[in-house]
Amino acid sequence: MTEIDQTAPLLQVRNLNVLFRTRDGVAHAVNGVDLDLAAGQTLAVLGESGSGKSVTAQAIMGILDMPPAEITSGTVKFRGQDLLAMPEKVRRTYRAQKISMIFQDALSALNPVYTVGFQIGELFTVHRGMSRKDAKKKSIELMERVRIPGAASRVNDYPHQFSGGMRQRIMIAMAIALEPDIIIADEPTTALDVTVQAQIMELLAEMRRETGSGLILITHDLGVVAEVADRISVMYAGRVVEHGTAEEVFATPAHPYTRGLLDSMPKLIGEDSRLYAIPGLPPSLTNVPPGCPFSPRCPRAEDICRHDPPPPEIELWSQRTSACHFAEEVVAHGVR
Amino acid sequence: MSDPDAFAALGTIHDAPGGPEAAVTGPGRTLAGDAWETLRSSWVFWGSLVLIAFFVVMAAFPGLFTHVDPASCQAARARVEPSSSAWFGYDVQGCDVYARTIYGARASIVVGTIATLTAMTLGSTVGIYAGFFGGLVDSLLSRLTDIFFAIPLLLGSIIILTSIPTPTGSAFFSILKVSLALAALGWTSTARVARSSVIQVKQADFVSASRALGASRTWMIRKHIVPNAIAPVIVITTISLGSFIGAEATLSYLGIGLQPPVISWGIAINDAAPYVRSTPHMLFFPALFLSLTVLAFISLGDVVREALDPKAM
Amino acid sequence: MVSAELTSKPTNQEAVLRVRGLVKHFPLRRGILIKRQVGAVQAVDGVDLDVYPGETLGVVGESGCGKSTLARLLVGLEVPTAGAVTVLGRDLIGARGAGLKAFRREVQMIFQDPYTSLNPRMTVGDIISEPFEIHPGVVPKDKRSARVRELMALVGLSPEHVDRYPHQFSGGQRQRIGIARGLALNPKLLICDEPVSALDVSVQAQVINLLQDLQKQLGISLIFIAHDLSVVRHIADRVAVMYLGRVVEIGEQEMVYSNPQHPYTRALLSAVPVPDPKLRGMLGQIVLEGDPPSPADPPSGCRFRTRCWKAQDVCAEIDPQLRDLEGVKAACHFPGA
Repeated sequence: MTEIDQTAPLLQVRNLNVLFRTRDGVAHAVNGVDLDLAAGQTLAVLGESGSGKSVTAQAIMGILDMPPAEITSGTVKFRGQDLLAMPEKVRRTYRAQKISMIFQDALSALNPVYTVGFQIGELFTVHRGMSRKDAKKKSIELMERVRIPGAASRVNDYPHQFSGGMRQRIMIAMAIALEPDIIIADEPTTALDVTVQAQIMELLAEMRRETGSGLILITHDLGVVAEVADRISVMYAGRVVEHGTAEEVFATPAHPYTRGLLDSMPKLIGEDSRLYAIPGLPPSLTNVPPGCPFSPRCPRAEDICRHDPPPPEIELWSQRTSACHFAEEVVAHGVR
Repeated sequence: MSDPDAFAALGTIHDAPGGPEAAVTGPGRTLAGDAWETLRSSWVFWGSLVLIAFFVVMAAFPGLFTHVDPASCQAARARVEPSSSAWFGYDVQGCDVYARTIYGARASIVVGTIATLTAMTLGSTVGIYAGFFGGLVDSLLSRLTDIFFAIPLLLGSIIILTSIPTPTGSAFFSILKVSLALAALGWTSTARVARSSVIQVKQADFVSASRALGASRTWMIRKHIVPNAIAPVIVITTISLGSFIGAEATLSYLGIGLQPPVISWGIAINDAAPYVRSTPHMLFFPALFLSLTVLAFISLGDVVREALDPKAM
Repeated sequence: MVSAELTSKPTNQEAVLRVRGLVKHFPLRRGILIKRQVGAVQAVDGVDLDVYPGETLGVVGESGCGKSTLARLLVGLEVPTAGAVTVLGRDLIGARGAGLKAFRREVQMIFQDPYTSLNPRMTVGDIISEPFEIHPGVVPKDKRSARVRELMALVGLSPEHVDRYPHQFSGGQRQRIGIARGLALNPKLLICDEPVSALDVSVQAQVINLLQDLQKQLGISLIFIAHDLSVVRHIADRVAVMYLGRVVEIGEQEMVYSNPQHPYTRALLSAVPVPDPKLRGMLGQIVLEGDPPSPADPPSGCRFRTRCWKAQDVCAEIDPQLRDLEGVKAACHFPGA
């Protein structure tokens, strides 16, 4: 295996394009997406359903079903090595060891016919060549680390015998087992109650601090993003519409969509009357409008927005970009 | 007072793609319509449909395929090989094999159809009641289904068919007897499929919504349960048509199915079997037609099942 | 026994819905041929509620608290084990035939999952007109088609789509169809069981606004059930907090959110992530230990005591009842901060 360049950025995605061939036409799920992740950093990829965030994550992990998916262009560089250009055999060694993933629904992500101890241990027997006995010891260790009470006896239990929160802890244990450099968490708390969500996010942050890995958090939950993210990339209709630090994006969003999203979010503090609602619906990915995909719903849209080419990524300052013709104005004055 | 602008705002985003209209694709497209789209482009679908149509026409209008009378047999021609005058040769009694094969289609397909329709009606009714009502009704009906399931097809048919005397010479009664005997033993798989399909549909919210509106149970079964539960039943029906035709052939081969003067493929195979080593042509052609028919129905059932599978939509 | 007045709001209006001592236990049976009852899941265990005309009562709680069972009980989909439910003065329990049908016209429900709450084989028009076919007296046959279009426009759908099928609509639009169906019979009370939980944030706001507008326009009462406290805050006038089958706190929305008396309410509120990175780590967050107990085996005394940081011996011995506390009603021996 070629030497990994420790000085190159941890993850660098450039111009990723993924499409799906469906019966209704070609769906452009990911269009020219750029992402950056530095070691020890938490990047939140924020978007609603149909934004392409999950497909992006799956493309990075290399778990897309191709066909019907097709990566038409782009590079995903892990410390300088392009994962997309690698042969599958080499790529497989990166999964779980260098980049691991936590899925949304632990119940369907875990195999119901094997004990959790076996499933966690499998990572060690397969990737580290450990014996079953040693792997089991490691499983108990990890379960204790993610604070599952009674780990020594619960290691022989099956996934359905755990609650939703506990299952998510098991997924986290599996994700950190081989001490990867990057953890991708795809909506890890969406299916959980709010009190359990708080526990899991706290655990995830702690694990990340302990291992020093980078975390990519895929979510639509603005609250969760505000709590843990260092940087945010906002996605809409397969494009990244905004990059920035968490504070920047929340305080002075640079894109009308982000602005609309923040305004339409129900809050515990502040005004409790009528919510602002972004009118209309996200476009169907087989029929994306010309120009800016958000233009049909944008209160700020003008003629230039509705015609091709789509707005370029405007760099406002270092590492702060927005795909809006009026980005500077939006940052300074808001949208309405 | 309500805010008219809220509704107006929603209304103005009409024609631009990305507006609310964008999500509503095309004219009303049912799930059956979606299935049709899949089927239309499948060569297996068209192939099996053409084959089935071919055999159905053969069954309905055998005169289109041959002018020879299948009943005119001459002992002198017994077991003669195929030639240009008789494409399939002659059978053990000197009858034209080609003519008997053509005419044999009718009995086989009619038996298959009657058996299937009876089994489907009986099985669906039992399955729907068992699935929808649950509890004691379900227990009783399911045990009944299990009992019938446990009876081996051949053993059961032999008992039924030998205990009911057939007035000799009545082709119609013979066909009916065999069809109903097969249906009486074959309804159980339809019942099981219908029951599990109904149980699954019963749990959906739209059924609860209907109940919350005050719908009667008959209404719910008719409007909500049956239309959504019917797909797997259609599939198993199409497949079982093929197996009923095959079962009839088995019974006739054993001599307890259709009786002369009825002409069927099973009977033809029965007659030809002892001579398969010396004059295989007598067995080969009826067997070929039988296999093709069964294959056509089973393929059709398979491709319809794939098309109706909601996961593919 | 709890007093009949459950709100500090002075009212001389007749309550639309009155619930007293509502109980629903699901029996757990074990046995091969003859099943004996070995226990029960106490999904709802003694709930009292009042809902007044034109108001929205929010019901919040996490999974297993019984709020969905409560919804189903109130709309007649489940039969209570005990308790009384009166709608506009008429008793629901024991209602049969015409009486039960009349009740159905007054109370309707909107379901959580937009993907399973509509019959995929029926057109939108048929779905919305089903209530008229089940209750033929409400709208005469020749006026039904017009009324269906009216309802579609009312919920923000284009009436031209009356012949389309559910799978051709988005999640948010399907919820609108469900709302139109729920409003068809002009009910006085609409029970919304997590109506926006399955929707994206931007669509949630649309549907929440729609429900608020409809309430003002039609004067109906809403029971809005959710696990998302921020959402409930925007739409509810009063809020009830449920835990393990009981109401542990109930009161005016501003009071409950600004000065919660019950520890569980405090924990719930503090667990909601704050969407402001600058406040990260500054608000003391209460993180509850462990999992909620099973509703089949609730703890003795106060049900929350196994996860409560204030629990004392008395909490295990005496089950606290709802009582007036600082503007709300809460069931706790040690309420307040």
